[in-house]
Amino acid sequence: MTDIILIGVILAIVGAAIAKIVIDKKKGVKCIGCPDGGSGKSGCSCCRQD
Amino acid sequence: MNDHIRVALAGNPNSGKTTLFNALTGRNERVGNWAGVTIEKKEGEVKKSLNKTNAQITVVDLPGAYSMSPFTSEESITSDYVRKAKPDVIINIVDATNLSRSLFFTTQLLELHIPVVVALNKIDLVKKKKTEINVELLSKLLGCPIVETISTKATDNGLDELVSKVVSMKGKTQAAPFDNKGIDLSDESSVQAFDKKRYEFVKEIVSKVEKRQISSNKQTKQDAVDRILAHKWLGIPIFAVVMWIVFSISQTYLGPFLADIFVGWIDAFHAWVEGLLGEGTSPVLSAILLDGIIGGVGAVVGFLPLIMVLFFLLALLEDCGYMARVAIIMDRFFKKVGLSGKSIIPIIVGTGCSVPGVMATRTIKNDRQRKTTAMLTPFMPCGAKLPIIALFAGVFFNDASWIGTLMYFVGIVIIVLGALLVARITGEKHTKSFFIMELPEYKIPSIKRATMSMLSRAKAFIIKAGTIILLSNAVVQIMQSFNWKFEVIAEGAESTSILATIASPFAILLKPLGFGSWQFAAASISGFIAKENVVGTLAVVYRITNFIDPEEFVLLSDGTGVAGILGLTSVSALAYLMFNLFTPPCFAAIGAMNSEMEDKKWLWGALAFQFCTGYIVAFITYQIGTLITTGTLGTAFIPGLMIVSAMIGCALYLVKKGDEKANGKLVLSV
Repeated sequence: MTDIILIGVILAIVGAAIAKIVIDKKKGVKCIGCPDGGSGKSGCSCCRQD
Repeated sequence: MNDHIRVALAGNPNSGKTTLFNALTGRNERVGNWAGVTIEKKEGEVKKSLNKTNAQITVVDLPGAYSMSPFTSEESITSDYVRKAKPDVIINIVDATNLSRSLFFTTQLLELHIPVVVALNKIDLVKKKKTEINVELLSKLLGCPIVETISTKATDNGLDELVSKVVSMKGKTQAAPFDNKGIDLSDESSVQAFDKKRYEFVKEIVSKVEKRQISSNKQTKQDAVDRILAHKWLGIPIFAVVMWIVFSISQTYLGPFLADIFVGWIDAFHAWVEGLLGEGTSPVLSAILLDGIIGGVGAVVGFLPLIMVLFFLLALLEDCGYMARVAIIMDRFFKKVGLSGKSIIPIIVGTGCSVPGVMATRTIKNDRQRKTTAMLTPFMPCGAKLPIIALFAGVFFNDASWIGTLMYFVGIVIIVLGALLVARITGEKHTKSFFIMELPEYKIPSIKRATMSMLSRAKAFIIKAGTIILLSNAVVQIMQSFNWKFEVIAEGAESTSILATIASPFAILLKPLGFGSWQFAAASISGFIAKENVVGTLAVVYRITNFIDPEEFVLLSDGTGVAGILGLTSVSALAYLMFNLFTPPCFAAIGAMNSEMEDKKWLWGALAFQFCTGYIVAFITYQIGTLITTGTLGTAFIPGLMIVSAMIGCALYLVKKGDEKANGKLVLSV
């Protein structure tokens, strides 16, 4: 019984971590948990002037 | 239906746009006391406490621009936005300490036929200098409302008035005081002549509205301080001393003291969960929870206080204006090796995190310089690498602070040498660049801003620990608990685990570097997911619950405790630290490099260069260090020498080809 509860706890923790990563990725976050590195879009040649 | 007002924040670099944006919206976007911190537009809603109307006010923070004729990519974001998106109102942030420069852009904004409200920012500094600005007259001459603001102040900052002015200006028309009608914008000489007239017009306005007590050509105390801090020779040793002090406080004194208390809580939590599980639970499941999840994450999070103290101090340095001086000191070296002066900004941003650092390279116009900077920025130790530095400095070296300082300076040296090498390989060694950076004034750093910066980084660190690091450690624990037949590994047979069998072939490659065990190879591989994983994985594979001794109030040292378990000499520990710091960064940073480089050849070249650099630096450190400390060379010297020779040989071949290319170019240009 304890093992089943333990499996549930581990799955809940791991599931919450995966859910957070998936949600952030959907929001366009490039680097989860990176300071100031979150929402940057990739560089595009259209906005460069070489 | 409620009104919606779209407001653009536009102004010169370092005029305080993002600080104003944060004050208006309650957000916590990165600000810096230098030009070029904002490289993308950001949106937010004005706080309820400031917005007394029913209208929804969206504020768009734009990168700094000196003119509507864009010179850099971030300036083009600003000019494109105000021209094409047609905001309802523009808040033009004018640095009141530098009216003559700021108003050039103001007069251009007023020509767009979009209502402009001028926020005369930093008005407190103007008063401090005993400069007088006749705001009423300025408003009349420009033909737009002006509000005095102090965006760094929490109250009595003029923001209420600014927001109500913005609301009242929606839909109104303004006459431009200086119009460009009849100018042929396609004719460069006519535009230049017109710009000259505009400068004269601005000069005339400033002479009417501004009375200075201190003339701008007078040497100030700031100039005297700059003559020392930004001196071409003294600047570097001063920077080294400053960094040493920062590391001393964060890694030797205050940081470990706080970390010790924090780790005590983590230990107590670990013990509490262990007690809850009792004896009857499955050893594999309890190992996943206790050693993998709590132990692995706890080992990384234990370093949080050290990192918070370090980032707090770095934020103070940035806010007081010192880091902008460091940029000037470094510029001299960067120019000599063919990098852009602007390269310093991504590199300093990279000390927080390589991802925004690499993204900041898009402000560099020259293609080769941009790609080279994106490739070299990850060599600066980022926040994720700090736990590794703190761990090895604390465990293997009594005086922890010089290790961190050394890592920063080795990073800078590698960047300079790497830039030189790339310039030779690409055959563009004759390229020179010029960089003008406006030095912000020195000021007393804001404790509040430094605290906010520190908390935002701490939050990011905890999110990363609770997601990526947690998952990685759980996977590492599972891979260590089972063999390929999914049988539970018996005590003492860890080398037959999935993790060990995957990591062992890589461990052979690491033998000449002094850390050829599968555990260290596994930790380095997991570091590509996130660099903090190096610490987490070591904690999991060696079953160390924390790296900071809760009893002694100091980091464990020399040959005892953790150092004994890891089984490294201090020389091989230093080599391992350098290997993890100077080999390719985490996947997120590699992804950012891919986005910014937009060239697979460059990306693979960069990764190869980063790997070879980390390998060579670790090899030299281990072999020479062992020779000095023991009188003999380290293990596997000959195979290591062969690998390193092959790497250097490849680099020399590419340099030779680059030289031929460069000579060909010179012949063609004669």
